[in-house]
Amino acid sequence: MPVLVEDPALLSKSRLRSDFVAHNVKLHLKHIDHRNAAEFSSDEEEDVQDEAEKEENPEEAELPDPSGLTDDDLKAALLRLGFKPGPIVASTRALYQKKLSRLRRSNGCNLLKGAEKVLYSASEEEEEEEEEEEEEENGEDDDAESGVEEDKQEAAEQTDEAQPGSSQRGDFFYPQCFLPSSGLRARASRNKEPGLAWNSGNALKSSEQSRPRRSQIPAGISRASSVDHCPGLGSGVQAGSQTVAADASSSFSSQMESRGSLSTSSNTVREFNGSDVQEPGSGSSRLDTPVVDSSSMKNRSVYCTPGTSPQERRMKPPREPVIDTFKDLLPAETTPTGIYATRRRPIKGAAGRPVQYAYPDTPFSPTTLERREVERRLVPIHIRLLFFVVMACILYLVYALV
Amino acid sequence: MSSTSQKHKDFVAEPMGEKTVMALAGIGQVLGTRLEEKGFDKAYVVLGQFLVLKKDEELFRDWLKDTCMANSKQQNDCFSCLKEWCDAFL
Repeated sequence: MPVLVEDPALLSKSRLRSDFVAHNVKLHLKHIDHRNAAEFSSDEEEDVQDEAEKEENPEEAELPDPSGLTDDDLKAALLRLGFKPGPIVASTRALYQKKLSRLRRSNGCNLLKGAEKVLYSASEEEEEEEEEEEEEENGEDDDAESGVEEDKQEAAEQTDEAQPGSSQRGDFFYPQCFLPSSGLRARASRNKEPGLAWNSGNALKSSEQSRPRRSQIPAGISRASSVDHCPGLGSGVQAGSQTVAADASSSFSSQMESRGSLSTSSNTVREFNGSDVQEPGSGSSRLDTPVVDSSSMKNRSVYCTPGTSPQERRMKPPREPVIDTFKDLLPAETTPTGIYATRRRPIKGAAGRPVQYAYPDTPFSPTTLERREVERRLVPIHIRLLFFVVMACILYLVYALV
Repeated sequence: MSSTSQKHKDFVAEPMGEKTVMALAGIGQVLGTRLEEKGFDKAYVVLGQFLVLKKDEELFRDWLKDTCMANSKQQNDCFSCLKEWCDAFL
């Protein structure tokens, strides 16, 4: 030790190096640090000197603090500035000292500049960016940093605006989300109309169940089947059903243009209802019904007759309670609830029995979905006519006035 | 750094084993010699320094600049090379 302390000032480079080699590297590093760089002129550029410079440079160039700190203090100082240092060892200490001085410098600038910087320099990366900028362009530090900060501020403001202003922006989002919902509403309302008609017509079918079938059965087939089928129902089944079919057909004819599938499907619904009435138990007949109906009612009768059809035909006046295949289940429900309950039941039975009807609510083919979407968005024919009349009146008035 | 150099690909493709420091991308003859003089004779020694700096780009580049006076591109090459190697093999 004493030898070393004396050496650096007096000895030549070669001698110095040999001494270093003789001793532990760490030893000489420490001593060089403490001895301070003044004794080593800038001329000396050797390996040893380079290593020494690592620690000397910070001392000379920067505040005395970083170099004088112990490893723990250095680490604590870095942590205080928001930088998380790795292990501080001989090979990294110099780097961390530099880092610390840089951070301090940037912080000083920040303090001078104001509180804003502190806010935005909270994260390490930002600090580092700022520091790099400082290094590269010391003169323009303030401008660059302020620019960066301004950008950040703007970004922050934008984000801030976005959250409270979500209501405004929500307008943009809503239409997208809203259209389908509105479509659903419109569809629901449309469904109600025919449902009411059906109620008055005597055959009660919930709109829910009518939907699936609409989607199920292509428009062309269902239309044809409806036309063919109405007489079949009337002859085969019930007077009530005929009236229903007639009402439905009339109402449908009005609605046909706007939504062909809806009306047709509703017809098909009736078909199913009739089939249910006639053939409560047989699932196979249902499979056939959509196709078979168009061909002839005879097939139906063939299918329906074997089991329950005669009984059901008798029952028709009382309708559902008698018709239901699930007589065991239903009677308890039917008696307390009343008319509506009874009317619904056959539908439930129809919907519930076969697997086919259990799933119709689920989406079908993409094409059908698209068609539905289109139908939902179409303006009802009434409104179209009304609009046309109103426009005609306005135009006439304008013409008359002019 | 639009594309990585062949040296980079070669280094990142396999464990570094006992490769010399000059196998690192961005470290050529001159820088390699300087590093070896400082005792960083193998690539894994540089890797050690890289790791002890916690893969921090700024610190590592500073260190590389201080140690062997690497320029910005060399620093970048070496850093990305080690970073990618670590991502692949560490």
